This record gives sequence, structure tokens and C-alpha cells, in this order.
Amino acid sequence: MKIIGVDVGGTFTDLILCDTRKSRVFTYKIATTPNDPSDGVMTGVSDICRLNGVDPGDIDYVFHGTTTATNAVLENKGARTGMITNEGFRDIIHIGRHQRVHHYSIMQELPWQNRPLVARRYRKTVPGRLIPPSGEELVPLDEGAVQNAARELKAEGIDAVAICFLFSYLNSAHEDRAREIVQAEMPDAFVTTSSHVSPQFREFERFTTAALAAFIGPKVERYINHLNRAMRDAGVRADLRIMASNGGVATPEMVTSKPALTLMSGLAAGVLGGAMIGKLAGRKRLITFDIGGTSADIGIVIDGRLAETDARSTSIAGFPIILPMIDIHTIGAGGGSIAHIDPGGAFRVGPQSAGAVPGPAAYGNGGTESTVTDANIVLGRLDPDNFLGGAMKMDEERSKTVISRLAAQLGLPPSETAEGIITIINANMANAIHSQTVQKGIDPRGFALVALGGAGPLHGAEVARQLGIPEVIVPPFPGITSAMGLLTTDLKYDEVRTQFQNSRSVNISKVNADFCEMEEKLIGQYKLDKIAASKVSFRRFADLRYVGQGYELKVPMPADKLTVKSIQKVWDAFHKAHRREYGHSFMESPIEVVNIQISGTGKIPKLTRFEKPSGTSVDKAFLRSKPCIFRVDGKLREFATGFYRRDLLPVGKKIKGPAVLVQTDSTTLVPPDATAKADEFGSVVISLGKAK
Amino acid sequence: MKKSRKSAESNGTRVDPVTATVIHGALESIAIEMGHKLMRMSYSSIIRESEDFGTALTDPQGRQLCECKMSTPLQSGPIPGYVRGILKTLAERGDKVEPGDVIMHNDPYGGASHGPDIGFCIPVFLNKKLIGFSVTTAHHLDVGALTPGSCGIVDAVDTYAEGLQFKATKIASLGKRNEAVWQILRSNIRAPELVVGDMEAQIAAAEIGAARFKSLVQQYGEKTFNGAFEDLMDYSERLMRNAIAELPDGEYSATTFIDGFPDIDDPKYHDLPIKVTLRVRGDEIEVDLTGTADEIPDKPINMPLEGTVDCAIWLTLRSILLDSVKYGDIPQNSGLTRPITIKAPNGCLANPNFPSPVIARFCPGNQLADTLMKALSQVVPEQVSAGIGNLRIVAFSGLNKGEHWVHMEILEGSYGGRNGLDGMDAVDTLYANTRNNPVEDMESHLPLRIDCYKLRNDVAAAGKWRGGVGSVRQFTYLADGGFSIEGEGHIYRPWGFEGGHEGTTGQLKLVGIDGNAKDMASKVPYHRMSAGQSLVAYGPCGGGYGNPLERDPEKVLADVLDEFISPEAAKAAYGVIIRDCKVDMPATTQMRMQR
Repeated sequence: MKIIGVDVGGTFTDLILCDTRKSRVFTYKIATTPNDPSDGVMTGVSDICRLNGVDPGDIDYVFHGTTTATNAVLENKGARTGMITNEGFRDIIHIGRHQRVHHYSIMQELPWQNRPLVARRYRKTVPGRLIPPSGEELVPLDEGAVQNAARELKAEGIDAVAICFLFSYLNSAHEDRAREIVQAEMPDAFVTTSSHVSPQFREFERFTTAALAAFIGPKVERYINHLNRAMRDAGVRADLRIMASNGGVATPEMVTSKPALTLMSGLAAGVLGGAMIGKLAGRKRLITFDIGGTSADIGIVIDGRLAETDARSTSIAGFPIILPMIDIHTIGAGGGSIAHIDPGGAFRVGPQSAGAVPGPAAYGNGGTESTVTDANIVLGRLDPDNFLGGAMKMDEERSKTVISRLAAQLGLPPSETAEGIITIINANMANAIHSQTVQKGIDPRGFALVALGGAGPLHGAEVARQLGIPEVIVPPFPGITSAMGLLTTDLKYDEVRTQFQNSRSVNISKVNADFCEMEEKLIGQYKLDKIAASKVSFRRFADLRYVGQGYELKVPMPADKLTVKSIQKVWDAFHKAHRREYGHSFMESPIEVVNIQISGTGKIPKLTRFEKPSGTSVDKAFLRSKPCIFRVDGKLREFATGFYRRDLLPVGKKIKGPAVLVQTDSTTLVPPDATAKADEFGSVVISLGKAK
Repeated sequence: MKKSRKSAESNGTRVDPVTATVIHGALESIAIEMGHKLMRMSYSSIIRESEDFGTALTDPQGRQLCECKMSTPLQSGPIPGYVRGILKTLAERGDKVEPGDVIMHNDPYGGASHGPDIGFCIPVFLNKKLIGFSVTTAHHLDVGALTPGSCGIVDAVDTYAEGLQFKATKIASLGKRNEAVWQILRSNIRAPELVVGDMEAQIAAAEIGAARFKSLVQQYGEKTFNGAFEDLMDYSERLMRNAIAELPDGEYSATTFIDGFPDIDDPKYHDLPIKVTLRVRGDEIEVDLTGTADEIPDKPINMPLEGTVDCAIWLTLRSILLDSVKYGDIPQNSGLTRPITIKAPNGCLANPNFPSPVIARFCPGNQLADTLMKALSQVVPEQVSAGIGNLRIVAFSGLNKGEHWVHMEILEGSYGGRNGLDGMDAVDTLYANTRNNPVEDMESHLPLRIDCYKLRNDVAAAGKWRGGVGSVRQFTYLADGGFSIEGEGHIYRPWGFEGGHEGTTGQLKLVGIDGNAKDMASKVPYHRMSAGQSLVAYGPCGGGYGNPLERDPEKVLADVLDEFISPEAAKAAYGVIIRDCKVDMPATTQMRMQR
């Protein structure tokens, strides 16, 4: 089976093509076409097929990570959106949690007030009210009022409508009925409901997620339809699958129905790529570490499973999203991060970035500030003549000039300054990893770090050493791991139901009934997607907390029918998870079942291995020796450092650090006291010596 | 990393800039981890949702090293005072801190913010030497005061009536729990399950902070660590000094008034002035509260000088002079406050004497912050907002099968207009920054129905930049119960600035089963409610900023379409004529010319 992965990034669109029966893969990079990214995608698909002699008509699947939804939100360019909600609750998405973004600021803006997804004038209210605990109707829905609201919105030129009622997660009848009415009045509009988007409690977060879905809905729909059409026009008969934020892919139909699934589409694939590399290398516990020009993304993978965020921790452009989502922590630290002295005189690196334009001073595009990339050049770790495989020339002198200027301000020698920049940015990254691991009761010392992105392999080893992580795995193509990750996905759908049940009075048959209903819903969905039942599997979870708490922990639930006996194990698992995460448990306290969740996985063909590297000897891979600066025993020292062609490294032969491995999409740094060797799957594994 | 890099002497710092930055980052991570764990582990919504908690590390003298970004400023800010209070109390008692101690403290005359904000303090030792403290504070739902809940105790006549007092009480000593204290707690606190659970969470979070603190100092060595800490304080101090130095020297003063207790005839109980005089001299600033009303010996709106007044002042100065939007996250530590001197005559509302009650000091304190901003508006008009709408805190309670339920909710205020920005609508103001509770959470767990939660229509204060809009929330009891409330701002309107209009006061109505409504004052001691009765809270609206006639007519139109102002107000206050949902520009220009 022939499959293509296409990942659209800010600067480049990355592609990878593979035949699942063979292990040969082809990669390709093309400039992203920001006006309509599908142009770049289509050109890329045609090019990669032509260059490798593959008939586009023979491609079975195209997997695609898109930033259309993300960019629409970040740039505040979505649909003109309306909302229909309960009488008395017009301003839930405007008041939010009545909390300011910053503690210490008078001049701050609140995203939900300064850039509302739905302007107040387009928030219409109608009588109708449901109440807990079962979603019973207190006030019937005023259907006439819904109709009037829809007519007003239509007259006001609204393209998308979110229908958001309180307690719809318990009973979606009012929202469903309102949707029918609105759709009939506004047949061309994108209409969604909060219970369709995410049936979980917390109205501000749910209504906002629904408003986000409506805000991006028309744009995502247009994009997907356009791409689908363009593929057909180009003779590609492949099925299109879109990367979703939950770490799986979804069909075009699913994505147009639930566009909010793609809000983190671009980020999710990187972690998957890292997970696959770790699996090939036989490592069960992984930290994926993806560094680009402006940011670093951190993900955790344990036993092949991606960590998922809790319902309260995800946001985009300041708007909360409650949807099952893989947990990716992003910080402003990358190759373009700017080193500077702040107004109080402290030495800082980032979060400001020189980005791709003007980029680091070395790019010679007008960058005048010291960046992390410039520091790496000054230390000799990046080869200015061979950046991106020589595709881009770097100006070493410019790097030296800007670093010397900063050094003079700091009163440090230039080499100390350059190495200081690396130390600070690495410490920032280590702190970020710390917050995703140690802070959550995970000991990173038992993990391998998978270094991804253009700059991940350059910083991975030193960051790992700071955290006591013993080894770093660098995939064959670190710079296009997202595209590669797309080829490792399954069709993944989630269903969630809020329960609010107490362990002392739990109604097990209700939980079982809800699980059954959710599972049947997903089975129906997979049928629609033409996935055979034998290829579908389910996992069950519950979000639990002690009665009274406000944050839940996700705990696995038995796959079969829950019984009085098996639920006891669930409670035990929760106590244990609580102790692991927070260092404490409350054994006597009752537990509340907040949500139950079922995750379906529909297996689809994927990339499972890479060709064994063909390098024959280390000597053949050797390019040259150059001086590089490292800190050893607290002092800076210059080392003669071997530079090697990554693709020519033989399998299993140790290379002692310091060494630099170059390839077109990334550069790998092996520091002193570390060793590296290529494995049979094309990855390079760096083993770290004792910390210095 | 133990060996120091190139000397830092050339920069006048103790530690090289790279190591300093790395240690600062690590300290911040620790405080965040403590907050993260406390918030997620805790039981009562006042901590986990409202985020009314603080976490910080201090040095052995109580100087703050770092604080958690998630915590509310009025909780982290007082932590140094808690530590100093504990050390002083122990010394007076002939006791000292020892490894394995967990010390509980809530003495408002000993550095604590007020009785319900209980601090748990764990000393950190390295090689038998005290290197500092790991401290968490949090607002507890009930501390055994005269009526249910820990807010709206507006009838307390002295600190004894405010609930249990802990003065450097060792709840664990040399690693052994003092069970007697826990028994006293359980026997004297309503809703003990929640409160004790929250306390356990606080201790667990402080223990994590202590462990991380210790290993950080071990990693870098005490000398480097202490050097980095002193540098960090100097750094924050330098920023504050630079900001003050930019202000013209001089004296700037402002007065605002609080409602107090309008139902008491005696004039010393109501319409109380809060006066702030700023004296800027070079890179230092003196904040003088002379002229503020006298303390009230038998009503709990006195503000502890340490723990409330000082924090209100520090936080407001920093929010205005070192606004995070412009300056980023500046480390909050004791260096930041060095250039600031506070003068509050003993015996005034802002420097009361034991045992004058203080439990309801929250809203007067926020009014003090607002008054300080008003004084600063004369110096840095482009960095302030017009007058803010103050807050109110309500405790809902009742009995369910003989067990108490208590729920606290902070009723939001709003900001005044700002230079280039309208006021923030329906938010916590100045020194508070808590979160509300979801309607769906409250109705699922409490015998309350929320009938509405929305913004007020047609009340935004006019200005070139309009004032923020307050909210309306209505709570109906589904079972018999009660509430108590403490607030301010029912009588005095938020101030307008440079031609902006005054804002609108908050209001509180009690609606009977017959539908009749009764206005209530901003402070209501415990009040019984029957099933079917409602409480309706109208939030205050902040003042306007600048001349309304200078407001962009399109913004006026938008406010009319969004029902923040009425078409009549558009005409009367802004001189903007709207026809068919459009601005009639010629008519508007003409109208504005005539003004």
C-alpha cells in the first residue's frame, strides 16, 4: 500500500512517501503557500510522486496535518459567528472565569473580551432550561424564539452558529432541536452544538470550544473540500485523512462535522513520529522534544501511549478548549530565540524569536540580534557552510559580531557569552520537561529523549544530561518528523460523558449503559469509515477526583462490563494515580466519577520500519575536523571535533564525542563524554556519560 | 555546574549572569510545582477554582525567593510576613524551628493576612543548618467563626469572634503529627472534611517545595545559591527603582470613601475616608496613609498593616509601574519592595491594634489599592485605569442531614477605562484575581439554582475609553439555608478620569417568594433564606477614561449594538447620532461641535 504524509508548517510543507510493503521512504520539502496551503500540498504530492516514479493514482492514503484551524484562531480570521444560548446566560463566553490573564497588569487585554469569538450582538438568548442531575427539563425550549433568533442571525449575515445550552452534556435534546430549527432557517450556515463538540461540564469552556468550532468551521470545510477536489483533479484517488489533536486521524467528513478536532493538528504528528522512533528502538518510555525556530514542543509517551491533557489545561490564543487532546507542552525556545539583557540587567534568552525572517544574524537577512543559532555557530557546533545540507549559506562573521556586542554588554568573553546562551536556553527547556515529568510524578531518568525538529538533535544531549536522562534518540529525518508521524497514525475517535457519580452510591448500570451507547456510536462511525470491525479496538477511561476536588485524573477502566468487584480496582488505581501525581492520597475520601471516556482506534496501514543504513565505515562518513567549544569541569575548552555525514554512518559503530553529525534537515551534536551510534532502523542513539 | 563561571564582579553581581538566570528559572519552577499540586489536590472551590492560595519559598529570615504564578497576589504577597510572625512568636515563647516541624499560623497581628488565610510553613534544613522555608497559604472555607463560612463575618466584635487563632502552632513537631491540634480542628470547624483535606493538601505541597528547595541548594552549593538569590532581589529592586526614578519628584494624594456600615447611625461606622499620599523622591517612594479613617474596634473591616495594607500597596505599584504586559514576569520577591516605605498612623483603619477584628478587610484593602491608583493617576495617567468596581464575597451555607455545606463565591467587579483600552468587564480587580465557579458545577453540587449570569445592559460609564461592565448573578435557594456577605461599593461610584464619567455602584437585592425585592447593604451578616428565595447581585461598573466626546463614533455604535449603552446614552453622553444601525456622521459632528 502506498501512503503519503503531508505536514504544512509555517515555512515548509514536508512530505514523505512510503510503500508499506517495503521499507524505503522518500522525503520532500517545498515552500508553504500561505494564501492557500492546499496549493503547496498538491504541488508537493505531484512532485514527490513524479520524482520517485510513482503514479499518483496508485496512492492509497494521503495523511495530512493542517494548520488551517489553528491559524484562523491565531490570526483571528474566522467566520462571522453567532450563538444561541439560554435566557439569562448571554455572556458566559465574555465573562469567562472572571479572572484576568495577568495578576500584575492594568493594561492587559482579555482575549475573550478584546477579540470575542462571537460579538455580544450576535449572542441571542431563548427560553428553555435543563437541570442536573439528569438533564430534566425545567423550562421547555421556546422553538419560536429559536426560529426568530436564527432569522435575526441570518439577516445579520452570520455564517456559523454555535448552539450552547446549560447542562446539554446531560441531555442534548434542546440543542439538537434548536440545531434542526436553525439549520432549516439557515441552510448555508455552519451550525454546531456544544454537546456535539464536547459533552462535558463547565459551561465557559464548553461554550467557548463550540464557538471555536463554529468560528473555524466554514474555513476548515472549504479547505478540506478544496483539497479533496484538487486531489481528484490531479488524478489522486487516495483517501484523505486529517490529523486530529487527539493523536489520531479522522475522515474529511468527521473533520468538517467537528472542526475543533484539528485545532492542534500540526503539533500532534510530531509526537507520534517520535513515538514510532522510540518503539523501533525498543524504548517504552519516551520524551519527545521537538525544537524549531521559535518554539520547543514536549510530549510524553509511555508504553506507546501518548499522554493526554486534562480538561482544564489546553488553550489556543488564550481560549480554553475542552476536548480529548494529546498533552503537548510548548515553550518559546528555539534556534531563533533572541539573547538579550532585560531592563533589570538579567541575561535572558527568548521567548522573543527572530523567526524565519529576519532570522538569526547568520542568515544575513537583516537579523541584528544574537540568537541561539548564532551562539551555536560561534561555538563551532553548526557548520556555516553546510546548513540544510548546504542549501543555505550562513555568515559566521555576522554571528561573531552580534555575540561580541552582547558579550561586551555582559562583561563576559564572547565564547562564554555564546556558551551562556546555550546553557540558558537548555535550562529553559529542561525546566519545561521537568514540569511535564517530575511535576507530575514521572521520573525522567528512566526515559529516552527523542530529539526532533531542525534544532532538537543539537540541544537534546545537553538537555538530557541536565535531567539525568541517559540517552537521546535521533530519528533518520528529524526535520520532517511530523510528516513521518502522520504515517504512523490510526483512525482515532473519542466519546466522553459527564457522570458526576459518587463512589459511595455509584450506579454501575448507568456507567455500563453509557459505555455501551458510546461504543455503539463509535462502531457506527467506523462502519461509515469502512473500517472492518476486526480492525477496531476500544479503550475505556474515567476522569476521577475526590469528592470536592476540582481537577480530575484519568484512570483506565476495564474493557468489559463494570462490576462491583472491578470498580474497586478502579478506585484503587485512582488512589495510586493521585499519590503518584501529587505525592499524597486521601484513602478515606469518597471518589467522584466526573467523566467517562471511550477511545476507539481503527487500524489503518502505516509506516512500520526504515531501511537499514548502508554506511560501511566511520571513515567514509568522516568529513573534517573542526574546533568546537564545550564546557568541561566548569571550564570552556576547545576540542577538535569530528564532523560526519549522518547518512553514511555504519550500523553499530560507536563514535566518541565530541562529534557533529550533519544531514540536510538537521544537525546532531554529540558532546564530550557521550557516544553515538547508528541503529539498524536509521536512528542515531546518543549515550550520555556521567554528568559533569 | 558547581564551579562558578567567569567572575561576575564586573556587573556588580555575586554570581555570573548565566548561573543566576538558571537558578532563577529553577526557583520559579519549584513555586509553580507547589501551586500546581495544591490547586489540584485541594477540595474546596475557594482554593481550586477561585485560586485563593499562595505558595512561596523564603530564606531563613523570611525574605521571599519566589512565588507561584497561579496563586492569587494577596496570598503569596503576605508569606514573608507569616514567616517573620512565626519566628517572632517562637522566639517569644522560647521555642525554635527544628527539622520535621510543620508550623501553622493565621495571626493577623503576627504577619498573617487574616484568620481564614492559614499558612503552613516547613523549615528546610541542609546539613542541620536552616536554609529557608517552604510555605503555602490558602483561604479556608470555615475557621470556626460565629456563623457558617469564613466571609461575611461582619458582626465579629474582636479577633476571638473571627474563629480559631493559630499563633505559630506546631501541627507536626520533629516529624510527628500533633493529633490534638487536628482533633481541635475537626471539632471546631464546619465542613471539617473539606477544610482538613485542604490543609493536608497545603502541607503536601509545602513538603514538595521543601524537598525541591533542598536539592536545588545542594546542586549549586549554598554560597552560589545565596549569591543568586541576593542578585535576584537586587534585580527586582533595580527594576522598581528605575521605574520610580522616572516619576517626577513630588507629593500626590487622593481620597476615596468606603461604605462601612451605613445602617449604624454613629458616623464613625460609615462613609469612611481612605487617603493615600505618595511622596516620590528620586528612586524611592513613600506611601502615607495619614488621613485614613480611625480603626473601628468592634467591626472587622480594619486592615492589618502587614499582610493586607502592605500587599495592597506593593501589588498596585508593581501592576502600574512594572505592568506585566510591558515588563514581562518580574520575579516577585522582597527586593521589589525595598524602595517603598509605608507610613500608616497607628490606630487608623490601615494600622489597627489587637484585638480589633479584621476578618472582613478584603474589600477595604482593595479600595486602598484603588485610592493608590487614583493618586498615581496624577503622575502616570497613561498607565492607570479609571476607578475600579470593588468586589463582594458571599458565603452560601445550609444543613444537609445534619452536616454543613458551605460554598464561597467571589462576586466580580470591573475595571475603569484605560488609555487606549476600554475597562475589563466583570473581572476581579486589583489585588484579587480569583475564578468563579461554573454554573454547571454549582448546580450539580449545591442546593442552589443560578437563574442568570450575564452582563448588565446599558450602564457602561461613558469615556473616550468606556468603563468596564459589571455582571448580574441571581442565586435561588432550593432548600432552606443562609448566606453572609462582605463587600464595598454600594454607595460610592467608581471615579471617572480626565472627563470620563463616574461608574455605577454595585447592588444586592433579596427577592422573596412573593417576588418582592429588598435592597441590601454591601455587608450582610448571616441571613437565613428559605427555599424559593433569591439573592440578586449586580456588579459595579468601572469609571470612564477621557472625554466621551472624543470616543470613536464607530466604537459608540458597537456599544449600542452590543447593548452596553443605550442609543439615548450614545446621544446624550457621546454626542453620537445613530440611525438604522449606522453612525450619522454629519449629525454627530454637528452635535459634538455644539458641546
